[in-house]
Amino acid sequence: MRIRITDQSTRAALATALFSLAIGTPPLAAQDVAIRNATIITITNGDIQNGTIVVRNGKISAVGQNVSIPVGIRVIDGTGTFVMPGIIDAHSHAALENGINEGAESVTPEVQVQLKNDDPVIYRALAGGVTAANLLHGSANTIGGQARVIKMRWGMPADSMYFKGAYRIVKFALGENVTRASSTTPADEKRFPATRMGVDFTLHYWFEKAKEYDKEWQDYRAGVKTNPNLIMPRRDLRLEALTEILHGDLKVHAHSYRQDEILMLIRAADDLGFKISTFQHVLEGYKVADEIRQHGASASTFADMWAYKVEAWDAIPYNMALMTERGVLVSVNSDSDERIRRLYQEAGVGVRYGNMPVNEALKMITLNPAKQLGVDKMVGSLEVGKDGDIAVFSAHPFSPNTMVDYTIVDGKVLFDRSQSTTLRKLVTTANPGGAP
Amino acid sequence: MARTRLLAVPVALSVAGTAAMGQSPGRGFSPTGTYTDYALTNVRIVTAPGKVIERGTVVVRDGRIAAVGASVTVPAGVVRMDLAGNSVYPGLIDAATSVGLPSPTRELAAQTVAQAGAAGGGRGGRGGGAAPGGGRGIPLPNGAAAPPAPPIVLPELDADAEAADMFAPTADQLSAFRTAGVTTVGLVFNGGIFPGRVGAALTGSRNDGRLGLRSSAGQEIAFGTKRGGAYPSVGIGSYAFIRQSILDAQYESRLDKAFKAGTPGGRPANDPFARALMPTATGEMPAWFVASKERELSRVAEITKEMGLKNVVVVGAQEGWKNVDALKRATAVAVVSLEFPAVDSVSGRNFMLYGAGKTGTADDSSLARDVRGNAGALAKAGIPIALASFGGAPGTTFRDRIRMAIAAGLSPDDALKATTVTPAQLLGISAAVGTIEPGKLANLVVVTGNDLFASGNPIKHVFVEGRLY
Repeated sequence: MRIRITDQSTRAALATALFSLAIGTPPLAAQDVAIRNATIITITNGDIQNGTIVVRNGKISAVGQNVSIPVGIRVIDGTGTFVMPGIIDAHSHAALENGINEGAESVTPEVQVQLKNDDPVIYRALAGGVTAANLLHGSANTIGGQARVIKMRWGMPADSMYFKGAYRIVKFALGENVTRASSTTPADEKRFPATRMGVDFTLHYWFEKAKEYDKEWQDYRAGVKTNPNLIMPRRDLRLEALTEILHGDLKVHAHSYRQDEILMLIRAADDLGFKISTFQHVLEGYKVADEIRQHGASASTFADMWAYKVEAWDAIPYNMALMTERGVLVSVNSDSDERIRRLYQEAGVGVRYGNMPVNEALKMITLNPAKQLGVDKMVGSLEVGKDGDIAVFSAHPFSPNTMVDYTIVDGKVLFDRSQSTTLRKLVTTANPGGAP
Repeated sequence: MARTRLLAVPVALSVAGTAAMGQSPGRGFSPTGTYTDYALTNVRIVTAPGKVIERGTVVVRDGRIAAVGASVTVPAGVVRMDLAGNSVYPGLIDAATSVGLPSPTRELAAQTVAQAGAAGGGRGGRGGGAAPGGGRGIPLPNGAAAPPAPPIVLPELDADAEAADMFAPTADQLSAFRTAGVTTVGLVFNGGIFPGRVGAALTGSRNDGRLGLRSSAGQEIAFGTKRGGAYPSVGIGSYAFIRQSILDAQYESRLDKAFKAGTPGGRPANDPFARALMPTATGEMPAWFVASKERELSRVAEITKEMGLKNVVVVGAQEGWKNVDALKRATAVAVVSLEFPAVDSVSGRNFMLYGAGKTGTADDSSLARDVRGNAGALAKAGIPIALASFGGAPGTTFRDRIRMAIAAGLSPDDALKATTVTPAQLLGISAAVGTIEPGKLANLVVVTGNDLFASGNPIKHVFVEGRLY
């Protein structure tokens, strides 16, 4: 059923508030909202029929069947709808500018991706219920650049979209992309490494260098206490980032496909003394799930990407379910500006292929990616005290007929299907090639 | 190439001093030829923003202002110009233009590019051909006997290139500047990463001699890339590369200090690129960042804070009105481009139109006013501003665009300040230009009526260093 805004004046107030945000003035009191009489999928505390959820000052203040709604706040009648935590995409390259890859060299952890905060893909992601994403560097490099974890605060300045408190994440990659297997340009062919064994060597070479660098700085810090004339060493942003990986301050998200390269990276990490936080894609993860779990890593995969390249030959849609069965924390990601709008369908694949319980499948786009990005204390489930990041679906998110009616970030309604026509038109005009 | 750090600018503040310098061949630059001296009489004089002499005289001798005031005796032998009904203003300064400068992405000889690639991308690049994944270059064999080749300087990384030395405008370009009342320009390269140093020049005829007024006014930092796939090959790499380059210059400076003090430890590498960046990295020379979009301004604020840079200038600043906070965090002076961005290229346009409930075309939106109101908004927010044609063609529309900025909220006094006093300070030439005071260069604009910026008031005369155009 369609949902109506109960209070006509709210629309005008909302428009004003959003405009104020866009031009950088402080937000008006638009961070309060309540949804009543909906099926609330909390993820952590079961589903609540005929439930109400209240967000005040951007945080969830109440969830349950017998919840009183404070006077004066906007109320959405959720009759017939399904309310779930805002969807989190653990692997995206949406809304980035000035390059996805610094591919001139194979080790570039000093680089960080840059957010293009007005990219319409953010609005499209909101239309798919997505409220946060991990914007990763591309997979051209053995050790790529640093990511930005963002909230989809459409209309806000870039600075305001970074998800405070999230992990700092760096991209690693293995296999065909790094070795330029499908490259056609001579420049790419010249770049080391050109094989998987070269990738292994590159990791060892650079982390050994990073250890020397770390020691140089430790010696300096210890020595300068007694000898103030010691010259402060050169800061090398690349080696500094590698030492942060060694110390666990920079979390590794490793692009991977085949079981042999996954095992290679685990061995290299164990040798060199760092941890893989999350294996990305990890299409053969079902073959080495125990090893992944034992290393302490989690997995973020595709629903189904069989044979789209040679190294994806053994990809199967059961991967999510099988890894979950073996105790690996699993999320399903988009890695695509198109799939980011329908991650709920991707998660549903786990129910059809592998009989995942519905709530477990939903965790793969909520609580599990939240853990992988270090934001599970703030988002990923509907609990009192967590951020008011909410998606309102017209039917169960796994129903083929479902649509997102509202997407709420920090208690602000940033997507409202009933009002989206105007913007959709503008967004299409700005990007004629893109889907609305 | 040896470069002059400071062109000899005759900035003596007394007429006597000026005359003395003019008669000292070999000590500093003297304009060639002889001057005609002028007395501009019965004219309204705006000596500086907000300072007006309703009816007075300006005496111009030997290219400089000799006297100004309500009751000035006109000396014998000068050309008298009765300018009743007109106003004379300080010549305008276009704080940033790339007109007449070579492009930092100009083509190099093919062999030079290949050598640069093999050397890890030219000066300023990371070496590291031998490091796996660290570069694409080919290492020299061990024990190679050949002497090292001279460093190849890529124009995008020519950190000590002086714009003032390289300024080579056409006569038409100079004339276009003067048509709009612009007598001085700030010179800022268009593109590159560290393309060189900002300078200042006059817009007089080239036949009059050297136009360059001041070099090393600032170190330009743009966010371009290297060519040919060398690191940094994309903007995100460039941002990291700039941070590392500044850190390297700071390290060089630490070594330099220790070396001079005789402290045991490393000695400076004397890498010309790192040394060129030292003054900026240590806060002595202003850093001129080229940035316009709201998020680019945030990046400048981040890099400034992280590197501890001082004296920050942001050139472009087209979306400054959307991110005043970043300019404040960087304690930056904004050189505001009057090349107003197309409204549909402004960050967040779609969202704003939606939020404002607008469905019309961009042109009639409130955003067009916001774009033109940028300079006014920044001035109101307390950000020091200078106005510039940066990114656009020279001159002719400069005054029209200032008028549009005034119509969108910039006060005329602020507009004059932003085209005289502030850019003069920024470019390090405030002793020589920016106001009508004795001793300064006779850079003057004579306009019919009482208001330089009012529509329909034609510019009657322009003087550059005392020469009448």
